Amino acid sequence: MRVVIVGGGIAATYLANNIKKQNSALEVTIVSDEKYPPYDRIHLCRLVDDKKDIGSIALPLDPTVKLELNQKIIKIDKENKRVFSDNSMYSYDKLIIATGSRPISLFDVETIKNAAVFRSADDCEIIKSEMKDRDVVIVGGGPIGLELLETINQIDDVSNIILILRAKHLYDKNLSSDSIKLIQECYTKNGKIKISYEDEIVDKVIKNNEIIFLKTKKLDIQNPFLVFGTGIEPNIEHFRDTLRCNKGILTNLYMQTDDENIYAVGECAEIEELNFVAGHVKDCTQEANCAISHLLQSDMQEFKREVSIDMLKVGEFDLVDVRSPKFSANFEKVVIASKKDNRIDEYFLEDTKLVRFIGINSNVDIGYIENLINDEDEVDINYLYQNRLVGERGRLICSCEHVYHKDLVDIVTETGIGSFSELANYSQAGRVCGRCKSMVEDVIKESQHLIDPNMPKKSAQDIKLEQEIEKVQKRIDKFNTLHPRNNLSADNLESAMESLNIAKKEVNSWVSMVTANMKLHPNFEDLVEKGVKTLNKVPIIWLELADCSGNSEAFIKSTNPAIEDLIFDYISLDYHELLMSASGDQSETVLEDIITNQKGEYVLIVEGAVPLAMDGKYLRIGPKGETGIELLRKCAKDAALVLAVGSCAFDGGVVAAAPNPTGAVGVAEALGRDDIINISGCPTNPTNIVGTLLSYIMFEELPALDKYNRPLWAYEGRIHDNCERRGHYELGEFVKEWGDEGAKKGYCLFEMGCKGPYAHVNCPTMKFNSSTSWPVQAGHGCMGCTELGFFDKFANERKYVEEQNNE
Amino acid sequence: MNKKKKIVIDPITRIEGHLRAEVEVDEDGVVKEAYVSGQLFRGIETILKNRDPRDAGLMAGRICGVCTNSHFRGAITCVEDAYSIEVPKNAEIIRDLVSMALFIQDHVVHFYHLHSLDFVDVTSALAADAKLTSKEAHKYSDRPFRNSHAHYKQVIAKLQNFVKAGKLGPFSNGYWGHSDYKLTPEQNLVLISHYLEALKFQTNISKAIAIFGGKTPHPQTLVVGGVTSVADMLNPARLNDYLFIIKEAKEFVDRAYLPDMKLIATAYRDEIKAGLGRANGNFMCVGGYEFEGERKLFCSGIVYNHDLENIHEFDESKISEEVDRAWYKEDGEIEYTDLNEDGSLKTAKNDDKYSWIKAPRYDGKTMETGPLARVLISYKKENKLINSFVDEFLKDTELELMDLSCTIGRNAARAIESGYICEYILKLVSRLIQNIKYYDTDTWTKYDFEKLPKQTKGRSFLEVPRGVLCHFVNIKEAKIDNYSVIAPTTWNATPKNFDGLRGAYEEALIGIKIADTSKPLEVLKVLHSFDPCLACAVHIIDTNGNELSSYKIKTL
Repeated sequence: MRVVIVGGGIAATYLANNIKKQNSALEVTIVSDEKYPPYDRIHLCRLVDDKKDIGSIALPLDPTVKLELNQKIIKIDKENKRVFSDNSMYSYDKLIIATGSRPISLFDVETIKNAAVFRSADDCEIIKSEMKDRDVVIVGGGPIGLELLETINQIDDVSNIILILRAKHLYDKNLSSDSIKLIQECYTKNGKIKISYEDEIVDKVIKNNEIIFLKTKKLDIQNPFLVFGTGIEPNIEHFRDTLRCNKGILTNLYMQTDDENIYAVGECAEIEELNFVAGHVKDCTQEANCAISHLLQSDMQEFKREVSIDMLKVGEFDLVDVRSPKFSANFEKVVIASKKDNRIDEYFLEDTKLVRFIGINSNVDIGYIENLINDEDEVDINYLYQNRLVGERGRLICSCEHVYHKDLVDIVTETGIGSFSELANYSQAGRVCGRCKSMVEDVIKESQHLIDPNMPKKSAQDIKLEQEIEKVQKRIDKFNTLHPRNNLSADNLESAMESLNIAKKEVNSWVSMVTANMKLHPNFEDLVEKGVKTLNKVPIIWLELADCSGNSEAFIKSTNPAIEDLIFDYISLDYHELLMSASGDQSETVLEDIITNQKGEYVLIVEGAVPLAMDGKYLRIGPKGETGIELLRKCAKDAALVLAVGSCAFDGGVVAAAPNPTGAVGVAEALGRDDIINISGCPTNPTNIVGTLLSYIMFEELPALDKYNRPLWAYEGRIHDNCERRGHYELGEFVKEWGDEGAKKGYCLFEMGCKGPYAHVNCPTMKFNSSTSWPVQAGHGCMGCTELGFFDKFANERKYVEEQNNE
Repeated sequence: MNKKKKIVIDPITRIEGHLRAEVEVDEDGVVKEAYVSGQLFRGIETILKNRDPRDAGLMAGRICGVCTNSHFRGAITCVEDAYSIEVPKNAEIIRDLVSMALFIQDHVVHFYHLHSLDFVDVTSALAADAKLTSKEAHKYSDRPFRNSHAHYKQVIAKLQNFVKAGKLGPFSNGYWGHSDYKLTPEQNLVLISHYLEALKFQTNISKAIAIFGGKTPHPQTLVVGGVTSVADMLNPARLNDYLFIIKEAKEFVDRAYLPDMKLIATAYRDEIKAGLGRANGNFMCVGGYEFEGERKLFCSGIVYNHDLENIHEFDESKISEEVDRAWYKEDGEIEYTDLNEDGSLKTAKNDDKYSWIKAPRYDGKTMETGPLARVLISYKKENKLINSFVDEFLKDTELELMDLSCTIGRNAARAIESGYICEYILKLVSRLIQNIKYYDTDTWTKYDFEKLPKQTKGRSFLEVPRGVLCHFVNIKEAKIDNYSVIAPTTWNATPKNFDGLRGAYEEALIGIKIADTSKPLEVLKVLHSFDPCLACAVHIIDTNGNELSSYKIKTL
């Protein structure tokens, strides 16, 4: 069965993950009109203040879920069970619409430079870049508006913020005036924020797509930046024609629409019977569960409204809002306030039953309150008063999982965990809607000192290693989100491996080999393994310039991993003229696609020298006859990393040997850049290419390099020092002529012109062709092919010193 | 009204180097004229000038990393010829062991990784049924290679994973679904399965090259006078490793490569019978590789115009080089006349220059060289070793010898050749063992370089995987004064000349019908059948031009 989910937010992700969890055989596709893989909108504020990037607020998604980005669904063909975007079509057996909501603005802000809504990562980019040095005007004082207000308040570049409210209250009209005052004071204390109640925009002057003047009932504002933090409405414009809609898409209690194969979930759906549109993460996930249960026909559950919990943590105050679905305007209110603690608890009662609770800086036991509302027990006001003190489990941290402060501290002290990722083994706190993640992290950090000192202690070295590992983990996570097609999560390797068809055994043997070759601590094996699986998400362009294809030939002869695994499973060799099936225009399209759509993400591997004489026309490539240097510049411009493999790419190699008829140079010189990594050798050992790629993925910075920008781990050792014939050198046992007794016995080849003493590379340990042999073992000796200008210096069978004396 | 349309294909992928093809087609998509052009010039011969002749091997080897070893050996042999140095028998055998393993490696990589995707539609294989696939493979072999249902299912699953993950890697953007693809899903699956197996195969057989060559690409064990890997030769474990690898390779050749070729020959029978991709029928083979006494593995000879009944002796004095339409002057200096503004080749006038490849001629004619030429000529000269393989292939596919002169025939010739080379290698190894047994362990002929002639000339003619390779050297004052190479691709991909004659590539393209001019799969198929190697092909003309004829023949 093919399930297509339209939408790219929490609801869509939750649906996809949970469908997969219950039946991994289903084909699940998410079609989203965003350009980023699903992320957590709750953390959008962190994008505005630059505390996080889009990668770090990404939602974990099962890697076997297919992800189609930049596809806005504009039509449903119910009859043939297909949906269409502008340029694609997706067939489904079951369709779930989870397009969420869109913000309401007073006028269209799309074309206006200094106005925005607040709903997507792109909106955040606009807010971030345009608000500087302007008076920021925020319209709306509900939860969205307030959170945005707080975020912008923290930004130094902004000195004036005006909050325009149509009503005369903040947050909610049922909040007591004391509470409003308390909140307001928190905001206006430093004088940056001005709140204008019972006000609204009445006029504006727009010039060159820019609002230069804004008039409200009460204020005149020059050079504003306007953000609408007002309401939202279901985002269903393209479905109105095909599905029955009211405010949202109408559904039954199983979230099924009037078409039995189409469901609607989340803020875009309206449950007809309850006249209900979801507004909380918890509502959405509950709706999703109902839809999944119906879709899979297992353990079916109808949607039932439950108590909702909202938490708003803004600067100096915490606000908790627990509300019964039965809450209405007919309430009595009990307010218990404490000036001393800046604390206010507001209890809303109806017929002596609790229907709502709003607490500011409150520390009452929210779990208890929730039960109280759910159970509809009569409440005793005295008890509520007693309850004002902190419950024994402390503050509620995660409302989704009902995890309290003390629960977390207990986990930390009992298990000695030190980070959020380690917590996953013990609790899902902070992982459901993600809102409280930073609070959870803080608790873990703050309670570290409570860990029993008698637990085995870490040495400084361990800590350093841990830090390094953490850094690498971050890098891998970053790459994992780079390629949205198979968004592997570090927590979910089994599924990831399944999606990439990697056998555990192969990986293990290769991982150990690479780890050892890169001279890393065995603790890194785990990360190398993850890095290996990440490699295939980095697109690779392999350019051949003035070359002999020797390095490509060497590359396809790599073993451990075997080449067939390497090119199909591990790395994404998207453009390689020697291997690719596409030719001519078709191959050009592949190249263009990578360099325009994956800027800053692809790795460029260059083989061959760059002829510069005759305007570079000694080499022309492609339908338009681009010169080698033109093509190289084009491809190198937006590459995340450029590797020059082989001697020709290093320094021009044989092509640049005297008299260098085509004016050939190496890649670094041709581009005039000093950040090209050279992997010299004629040809180079393929293990060193793969190892360097991996090291780049694992450690953000380039590997430690020698003076020629060659990775030290491969090019540090001198051939002569690691040579298998070194013992004979020490004993003065030399081959004197080819095929003599010494040659038969494997004596030292120094007298026969071996350049081992002048060459630096790992040939003696790695050898070639599955460690079968290398030039010294084969009795010829080294010709220093990794060294600068070796063709004019070393490529012969005479002693180097003699040569110098002759000159 | 002349409604000719020009199609430009650049880069031509799945070959070594930078090749461009431009074909002119009429309204029906039939190719009326073709131009193929080498687009890279490096000038290795210029670089070789003024160097010690003994260093020519290491430098000339870098002419190509795919025909690795061929140029290395070509240059070393050429210098030995100049100094009249005869190398010991063992050295010759070691060199042959490296060369022969390279033949097999090269042919298998060429067919599966560089060529097969012109016949195999990867996406079609997804629809194959594993059981039927196994049955299909049995039609062409008694013991097909890795033929279990489970294995085929695994291959399908693997392919599906690429597709699902949106990661086709090297398979992305091919001409999938093209009308020229003729295989059934099951046949496609057999080939794809072998494509993947062949990746393993070629890493494995490379070990055989490395045992006596030190490494590959770019082996490093040949020196003027012999070879250096004497310790490996005397090590029974190394010999055993070599033999074992070849035996494994033979399994693949017999049970996958040859049967696959029969499968393709059967599926594309109409195309073969129509002679698609046939060139002008001038074939050249210089022969070589000692077999038994005077008998050679390949027989030398010249055929004109498909007249296989009259095979002429190869006469090197008939070789000449022209540059009328290549980017050189008569004296060998470069004369680059550029491309048109839009990047296309200048071909409007019949003296427009359009390629870095020079134009070699034999007896004033363009020649086709390579496995097809070797098989045809050797067969007609009644080469016992080869003929049984050819007969079997023709019998199983119900084809005649003449049918091989076409696109698919070139591939068939390669597969047939791989078959008998495996047999031949076993004979080579037993000869080597005989020598060692009787205490002949020489691998180098001693000479005193200072006493060798200061002024001399040499040349070598070698059959290498892609055809005839010629190296020429002029030595003055013990330094290389002039160096010249005519590689197999130089022969086959030659540009036109004032004579207007098309080379084998260009001729083979004439008359090909292109179904969809935006997807010229048919053109690629023809070109790939020659196994183009462009790094090899581009060489400066010998400045002494016609003097080539003054060299003496020394057949290998």
